[in-house]
Amino acid sequence: MSQNKQRLSWLEMLKVNQRAYLLFYKMYPRMILSRFALIIWKALTPYVGIYFSALIIEELAGAKNPGRIRFLVLLTLFLIAAGSLVTALLEKWKNVQSAGMWLKIKKILSEKLFETDYVNLNETKNMELYSAICQNHNSAGWGLYRTLEDCEALCQTVIVILGGASLTLSLFTSQVPESAGKYTILNNPLFVILIALIMLAVTCISPVLAGKAGRYLTSLADIHNLGNRMFSYYGHLGYDTKKAADMRIYRQDKICEKYNLNKESTFGSRGVFARYQKGPVGFYLAGASAVSGIFTGIAYVFVCLKAWAGAFGLGAVTRYVASITRVYGGISTLITTMEDMRSNAAFLNMVFEFLDIPDHMYQGSLTVEKRNDRKYEVEFRNVSFQYPGSQEYALKDVNIKFEIGKKLAVVGMNGSGKTTFIKLLCRLYDPTEGEILLNGIDIRKYNYREYMTIFSVVFQDFKLFSLPLGENVAARTNYDRELVTEALEKAGFKQRLAKMPHGLSTCLYKEYTESGVSISGGEAQKIAIARALYKNAPFIILDEPTASLDPVAEAEIYEKFAEIVGDRTAIYISHRLSSCKFCDKIAVFHHGTIVQTGTHQSLLTDQTGIYHTLWQAQAQYYT
Amino acid sequence: MFTKSNSTPKYNTFQNIGFMIRLAWNSDEKMVLVLCLLIALLSVAQNLIDLYISPVILDAVENHVPVIRLLFTIAGFAIASMAVSAALTYARQNSSPGRISVRCEIVNLLNRKAATTAYPNLEDNRFLKLLEKSNEYTNCNQEAAGAIWETLTLLLINLTCFFLYGSLLTQVQPVLILVILATSGTSYFLSRHLDSYRYTHLDEEAEYAKRMLYLLNQAKDFGAAKDIRIFGLCTWLEELYEKNLEAFLAFHRKAEGVYLWARIADVILTFLRNGTAYAFLIYLVFQQEMDVPAFLLLFTAVDGFSSWVLGILDGFRTLHKQSLDISTIRECLDYPEIFSFTDGIPLKWETQKSYEIRLEHVFFRYPNASEDTLKDINFTLHPGEKLAMVGLNGAGKTTLIRLICGFYDPTAGHVLLNGTDIRTYNRTDYYTFFSAVFQEFSLLAATVAANVAQTEDEIDQKRVEDCLEKAGLRAKIKSLPRQYETCLNREVYEDAVLFSGGETQRLMLARALYKDAPFVILDEPTAALDPIAEADIYGKYNEMTQGKSSIFISHRLASTRFCDRILMLGDGKILEEGTHEELLNLGGKYAQLYEIQSKYYREKTEMNHTDMSKFTDREQTKFVYRKGEGRNVSE
Repeated sequence: MSQNKQRLSWLEMLKVNQRAYLLFYKMYPRMILSRFALIIWKALTPYVGIYFSALIIEELAGAKNPGRIRFLVLLTLFLIAAGSLVTALLEKWKNVQSAGMWLKIKKILSEKLFETDYVNLNETKNMELYSAICQNHNSAGWGLYRTLEDCEALCQTVIVILGGASLTLSLFTSQVPESAGKYTILNNPLFVILIALIMLAVTCISPVLAGKAGRYLTSLADIHNLGNRMFSYYGHLGYDTKKAADMRIYRQDKICEKYNLNKESTFGSRGVFARYQKGPVGFYLAGASAVSGIFTGIAYVFVCLKAWAGAFGLGAVTRYVASITRVYGGISTLITTMEDMRSNAAFLNMVFEFLDIPDHMYQGSLTVEKRNDRKYEVEFRNVSFQYPGSQEYALKDVNIKFEIGKKLAVVGMNGSGKTTFIKLLCRLYDPTEGEILLNGIDIRKYNYREYMTIFSVVFQDFKLFSLPLGENVAARTNYDRELVTEALEKAGFKQRLAKMPHGLSTCLYKEYTESGVSISGGEAQKIAIARALYKNAPFIILDEPTASLDPVAEAEIYEKFAEIVGDRTAIYISHRLSSCKFCDKIAVFHHGTIVQTGTHQSLLTDQTGIYHTLWQAQAQYYT
Repeated sequence: MFTKSNSTPKYNTFQNIGFMIRLAWNSDEKMVLVLCLLIALLSVAQNLIDLYISPVILDAVENHVPVIRLLFTIAGFAIASMAVSAALTYARQNSSPGRISVRCEIVNLLNRKAATTAYPNLEDNRFLKLLEKSNEYTNCNQEAAGAIWETLTLLLINLTCFFLYGSLLTQVQPVLILVILATSGTSYFLSRHLDSYRYTHLDEEAEYAKRMLYLLNQAKDFGAAKDIRIFGLCTWLEELYEKNLEAFLAFHRKAEGVYLWARIADVILTFLRNGTAYAFLIYLVFQQEMDVPAFLLLFTAVDGFSSWVLGILDGFRTLHKQSLDISTIRECLDYPEIFSFTDGIPLKWETQKSYEIRLEHVFFRYPNASEDTLKDINFTLHPGEKLAMVGLNGAGKTTLIRLICGFYDPTAGHVLLNGTDIRTYNRTDYYTFFSAVFQEFSLLAATVAANVAQTEDEIDQKRVEDCLEKAGLRAKIKSLPRQYETCLNREVYEDAVLFSGGETQRLMLARALYKDAPFVILDEPTAALDPIAEADIYGKYNEMTQGKSSIFISHRLASTRFCDRILMLGDGKILEEGTHEELLNLGGKYAQLYEIQSKYYREKTEMNHTDMSKFTDREQTKFVYRKGEGRNVSE
C-alpha cells in the first residue's frame, strides 16, 4: 500500500474527509445529526460548572454573603442537573442512531460489491483493495469510521477552544493594581503577548510529538494487518472441523504452535510493535504527555502572579486555570485531529478508489420482449475473450447458434473455456471481440436486468444461502409455496423435503441461525437445480450438475433430464461424457475454441478428435 | 456473553486471577505483572497531584507567601506532574505487547486443544460451544483474556484512592462518606438494574448482528456473485438485511429507553450528593473551621470519592464477568479426552516392520442416533494390500475410514493394529501411521515446501522436490518466480499463488508422499477434474501406493480397478467383497452400480456384458494401467 506512505496535502485531506462525511450524511442523516448535537452540547456544558463554582469560591473567599451563596449554589446545582438531563436525552438519541455503526459502514462497501460489474469482482486488485479497507477499518477504525470521529472531534475542539478562550480573555486584560510595584510588568501588553505566545508554543509541542509517534504506527499498517491475518489464521486453524482430519494426520497443531508462541511476531513482547513502543513511539508519547505539565506550570505561574499581585481573587484563579487548561487540551486535540485526518485521508482515498471503481459494461435500454413461445434465439458471432489483465485468449473466435428448444452439451478439458463461454452468454462478462446476439440484436443493447431474466443457471460452484429453503429456491421472501415445492420435487428433493423440520421455512446451514439444517453436497445441488427451474427462464444452463452425486442419484438426474428442462433451450456442461448422450448436439472446446460439433455418434467416429480421446479416457474403465 | 445458567463456574475469581498470574510468570512475561503495579502506582500519584495542585497553590496565593515560595510550589507540582505523566504514558505504551503474548499463550492452548482433542469432541455440542465461547474471550485485547490486566490495575487504583480519599474525608466528617456511599451505590445499582434488560437480551442483539453480517458478507463472496446477478438475489438479501436492521434498532431503542431512567436517576442523585457536599462544606467555611483552599480540596475529593466508589463496584463486576469467561476457557482446556494420548502406550513405526489393521465385529452409532451407522464390520487390511471401498452416499464409507484412522472408537468391537486394540496406544502416535488425502484438506499459509513437509523447520529439500516430481507438480512449481518458497493461501498472504483444483490435488499427493507412512488413505479425488486429469491422478495414486497398504474410497467404480480387493458398502454393512471381476460375476449390488455407470459408455447399448471374453480385455486394460501407461489414453 504505497499510498499510505506518501502524505497528502491539507487541501486534499479536507476534500476527501468532507466527501466521506457527506457520504455518511447522505446514508444516515439522523445518525449524523444526533451525534453532532451531543458533541456540541458536551463541549459547552462543562463551562457552566467552571464558571459558577468559581463564583461560589469568589464569594466564599470574599464577601461571604449567605443569601448570595445559597442562590449561587442552588443555581449551579440546578443548571448542572438540567444540563445533564439534556445530555441524557441526547445520549439516548445518539446511541439508538449509532447502533450497529460497524455494520452500517460495512453496508456502504457491500452495496458497491453487490452492484458493481461482475468483472470487477474478478480482479484481484479490487478484492485486495476491499480486504485492505476492511482490515484497516478493523484494526483501528481507519477509513470511514475515523472520518466520523475526526470531524466530530474537530467541531468539538473548536467549541471547547472558543468557550475556554472567552472565559480566559479577561485573564490577559485584567490589570494588576499600580500598588503592586514591579509586578505591574504583568500589565505590559508586550509581556502578556509573550506569555500567550509561549503558551501557544508549548501547546503545539505535544501534538507534534504525538504526531511523530503516530506516523511510526501508520507506517506499520501493512505489517499490522499481516500480523492480524497470521493471528486469526494460525490462532484458529485447529477450530475448523472440516480440516480436523488433516490437522491430526499431519500434526498441523505443531506449526500453529510455532507461530502462536512466537514472541517476535508482530504484536508479541519482542515483536516490531514492542520494539517501537520501547523506543521512539514510547518516548515521543511520554514526551507529549509530559508537556502538559509544563503548560500547567506556566499557566499557574501567570495566573497566580496576577492574583498574588492583586488583579483578581481566588475564584477567578480556579476559573482561569480550569478554562485555560481546557483551551490547551482543545488546541492539542485540534492539532492531533488534523494530523489524524491527514493520515486517515490516505485510507479514505482507498475507500473512494474502491467505491469509484468504474462499471464499464454498457447498460442498454432495450427491453427484452416477453414471449410465451420462448423463441429467444442467441448467437455467438466471432466472439473472443481475454480476462482482464491477461494476454491469453480464454475464448478465441467462437461461433455458435443455439437452436431454440434444443439441448446442447459443452465438453472439454479443465481450462478449455467452457465456463467462460457460459459467463459470456449470461453477460457476466462482455466479449473482447465479436458480438453475442439475442434475436439478432447485440445483447449489450438490452437492459441488463431484463436480459438476465431469460437465463437460469446452475453453476458448478453455485451458491445457496443460509436462509430458508423456500426463499433460496424462489429468491425472494414472498413466494408461491406450491410452485417452489413442485420445483424441488422435479429436482429430486421430494423425500428430503418431507424430512425438513419446518418444511420450506427450514433454514439451510447454521450460519444464519442455530436452528438451520445441514445438507449434503448432493442435496444442495438438487436445491440449486430447483432454483433454476423455479425461475422458469427460456434458457437453462447446467454446469457439472452431478459432480457431487453418487451414481444412482446421477442416473436419476440423467433420466429426468428431458423432463427437467422441458421445452427450454438447455446447455449442459459436464466432465461425465456419458451425460452428453442426452443432448441433441455437442460442442467440444479446446484451448478456447470450438474444435468439434455434432452428435455423440458422429463425434465418436472421428478417431483423431478430442472428443474421442476424452471419451476413451473415461470409457476405458467400462469397456 | 452473559452466563445466565445457575450452574456455578468451575473456578472462582481468585483461582482465575491465580491462573493468569501463573501463566504470565511461567511464559516469562513477568513484566506484565510489574507494569500492572507500576501503572497503578503512577496513576495514584497522578491523581494526588491533580487533587492537591489547585488547593495548595491557592493556599499560597491566599496567604500571600513570598513569591519565590509560590514559584517553587508551582514548579514542584509541574515537575512532578511531568515526570509522573511521562512515566505513566511510557508504562502504558509498553504494557500491551506482554499482555498480547500472554493472551497468545491461551490462544495457543485453545487452538492446540481444538486441533488435537479426541475427534468425537468436535461433534460434541457442549465442547463446541465451550470452544466458541473461549475463542470469543481470547479473540481481542478487550476480551477477558486480554482485558483482565486492565481490570486488575483499575481496581488497584480505585481501591487505593478510595482509602486515601476516604481517610481525607473522615478527618473532616465521616457522614459525608456515608452520603456519598449511599448516593453512588444507589445510582450504581439502579443503573445495573435498568441496564439488565440489555444484558439479558445481549444474545438477541448478537443474533441480529450476526445475521446482518452474514448477509453483508455475501457481497464479497465471489462464488455467490454469479448467482446473485443471474437470479437478481440482491433485492432479496437487502430486504432481509433491512428487516434485521429494523429489529436490531427496535431492540436498541427499547434498551436505551429503559436505560434513560438510570441516567435521570443519576442526575438526581448527583444533585443530592453535590448539594449535601456544598451545604456541609460551606457550613464549615462559615464556622471558620475551614479556609477556601481546603473547601476546594474537599469538594474535589467528594467528587473523586464517589467516582472511586463507582469504579470499585464496576471493577468487581467486570472482574467477576471476566473471571467467568476465564473459567469457561479453562473448562474448555480441561474438557475430558475420551482417547488415550500421552497416557497411552507410545508407538513408532519402523520401515522394516509390516503392519496390518483388522476390524473385528465393529459397530458404530453416532451419539443421539437411533440406528447404527456401521453394523458388524469385519475385515483385515493386509500389509501391502490395495483396498477399495465403494458405495452410495450415506453407505458409511466415511465413518468406516474415520474408525480406521482412529478418529472414532467403535461402539462395539475392536480396531486392531497388529493384533492390539488401538485404544491402548497414544492416539497421536497412531496418526503417524497414515498418509492421507482427504476430500477436505488444510492448505497451510506457508511456502510450497512447508506445505509438502508440513513443517517449517528441518525441511528435507531434496525429498520435497522428489515428492513434487512424483506428484507431477514440480514443473509447475519450477515455473513460479519464487519456486519452492512460493507462499500459498490467500487468507494470509496477499501475494499467494492460487492453484487450480488439479494442482492442489497434486500438492496434497506430494504431501502424503513426503510423509511416507505405512498406510495410505485416499478419499475420492475431486469430481471436478476433466477425464484426462482424472485418469492421470488415478495413475499417481496407483504409483504412490506401491508397497504400502492403502484404502481408496470412490463412487466412481471404474477407478477402483487397480485395487486388489473391493469392499462394497451399503446400509452400514459390507455387502460384497472381492476383486472387480469377482464382484461383477456375483451379479449383486456392485454389478448393478457398475451397470448404471457403464451403460452410458457402451457404444452399442445392447452390448452383452456377461460375455466372458470382455473380462480378459478388462484385465488387460488393468495391467496396462498399472504400468503407469494408463494415462496415455489416446492410444
